[in-house]
Amino acid sequence: MIIKLALRNILRNGRRSAITLTVIVFGAVGLILFGGYKTRTFFALRESTIHGRIGHMQIFKEGYAKSQSQKPLDHALDDAAAIRKEIERDPRVKMTAAQITLMGLVSNGDKSETFIATAVEPPKDRAMNNQRTTAGSDLPDNEPDTVLVGKGLAESMHVKPGDYLTIMTTTTTGSLNAMDVRVAGIFMTGVKEFDERAIKMPIAGAQQLLQTKKIEKLLVFLNNTDDTAAAHQAISAHVHGIEIKEWSELAPFYHQVVALYNGIFGFLGIIVFAIVVFSVANTILMSVFERTREIGTLMAMGTTRGRLRAMFVAEGVGIGVLGGVLGLAIGALLALLINKGNVMLPPPPGYTVGYRLQIMLQPPVLIAAFLVSFVTATISSIVPALKASRMKIVDALGHI
Amino acid sequence: MPSNDVIALTGVNKTYPLGRLRVRALTDVNLTIGRGDFIALAGPSGSGKTTLLNLIGCLDKPDAKPDDGRIAVDGVDITRIPLHRLAALRRNTLGFVFQTFNLIPVLTAYENVEYPLLLQNVPRRDRDARVRRWLDETGIGKQAKQRPDQLSGGQRQRVAIARAMVSEPKLVLADEPTANLDSDTAAHILDLLAEINTRTGCTFVFSTHDPSLIARAERVVRIRDGRIEARQQTADSGQQVREESAVGCLLSAVQEVA
Repeated sequence: MIIKLALRNILRNGRRSAITLTVIVFGAVGLILFGGYKTRTFFALRESTIHGRIGHMQIFKEGYAKSQSQKPLDHALDDAAAIRKEIERDPRVKMTAAQITLMGLVSNGDKSETFIATAVEPPKDRAMNNQRTTAGSDLPDNEPDTVLVGKGLAESMHVKPGDYLTIMTTTTTGSLNAMDVRVAGIFMTGVKEFDERAIKMPIAGAQQLLQTKKIEKLLVFLNNTDDTAAAHQAISAHVHGIEIKEWSELAPFYHQVVALYNGIFGFLGIIVFAIVVFSVANTILMSVFERTREIGTLMAMGTTRGRLRAMFVAEGVGIGVLGGVLGLAIGALLALLINKGNVMLPPPPGYTVGYRLQIMLQPPVLIAAFLVSFVTATISSIVPALKASRMKIVDALGHI
Repeated sequence: MPSNDVIALTGVNKTYPLGRLRVRALTDVNLTIGRGDFIALAGPSGSGKTTLLNLIGCLDKPDAKPDDGRIAVDGVDITRIPLHRLAALRRNTLGFVFQTFNLIPVLTAYENVEYPLLLQNVPRRDRDARVRRWLDETGIGKQAKQRPDQLSGGQRQRVAIARAMVSEPKLVLADEPTANLDSDTAAHILDLLAEINTRTGCTFVFSTHDPSLIARAERVVRIRDGRIEARQQTADSGQQVREESAVGCLLSAVQEVA
């Protein structure tokens, strides 16, 4: 009877209930769309960070993090091949990729610029799919003296595919070394500051330049990001003399974005919460005032104050459930339409390319949106319910 | 209290705050009402009859207490029991019929009558039988699925009577039950109440100005200025009440207690 009464009383003043439901639906839709956008952004940023740059884990020589070396590759992996073999036995591991990072000067004969080079294994690097080659081709497999040049650096140096550059750096023994390289292509990552200094070269070329056979680190790529902790544990148990860092430790930007978005999402949630609370409380409070005599009658017939409270809270619950369900349906529909709509967003700060607006409909977001609607509507019915249950019967019966 | 009394008031005094003063609503009221009685509380406006009815019905403020005295309803001293037991007493022992019917507008006639039985946790089958029986007995069975706004005033009061009777109360309190009805409808309602009283033995107590209702009462309790003035049978009460009504407003000043 409580539920029946609650539903009928919600429908009793249809227009007012509709306005309240609209507020709740707007709130739920807002939470779903922003939450879905946030989830999608986190997911995309995480996966692009992992697959494009840092891998799920990075393997260094033990003591790498604490080393204060002045020379390149002082703390490098000596026997990378054996370590790779052991790591790649784990079925969760998709691949490993060797990398060296080096810095130096690049010159076209007329002009020199500083560069930061990432030395990679070309086939593995192509599999990472972390860049867009805007001119020329990717790094060839067996040509150590080729490079890809970042778009900003290429513009600065006035080079195009097929041109030659000279790169110079300090070797592992501390002397200077230089080599001429052919520009195979121009690439961009979208991060302007990086593209103005970036060079990518084959690891064989970097080893030749640095005069070493060592590598700085191994990037480990897994089939599933969720397996990171388990794979970390397994590798630690089987391979000794190494230091492992997970992607989470190597991606401060990801965590900054997550913190920023969570702050915004939390603030938005508080605003939605406040709007829904006031709206539903107003609706039910109006209903209490209008039904004062009815409340008196119910109490006169022996309805306990607890049951009366339950009746009004049930109305809040009813409005919350209805609003939440409608909000979920409309929010999900809008998310699908947006995802199909191919809406492009402008580049974020520090980036040069925009990205497609996508809403990821994950259960946690949907559940959170529903719970916010449901819980806030329920909470906001408590004060009116208490007010109704504290009425004096005679006064309520005499109310006009 | 003798077992034959449904209500016993002994030395009841009741005052209400009015601004910085207190007004006396009832003064030294002593009254017993027996089982099966059909009683009218008569008196001019402000005389205290509604206060008396509210006290008997355990409706008067949360604690339902008079300032002094004792009120026993079906043998229970209502001045000494907690709030939840008052609610239980109203639920199980009392029925109410209001001047403005006070049906729950979102419920059908059937559901309105069913409501007190839901409070008593009566099983569905028994509930259904009792609801249908009382809807039929009050002549409203065909309107069972209609909501109050689809019913006439007389039909609404019949639903209210069915609702009051369905829980098989020992006492029905009716506050001006015919005041919002035309004379023909009021007469039919009175016939119905009298017939139920005779058949079920349930006690009925009315507060009323209506001479026709007073004329139908077995006993009339007259209240003036918060005091029970006289108790008499209905022989010539109709004329007397008409006179009271004419001058009632002028004479019904409540006493202020210093």
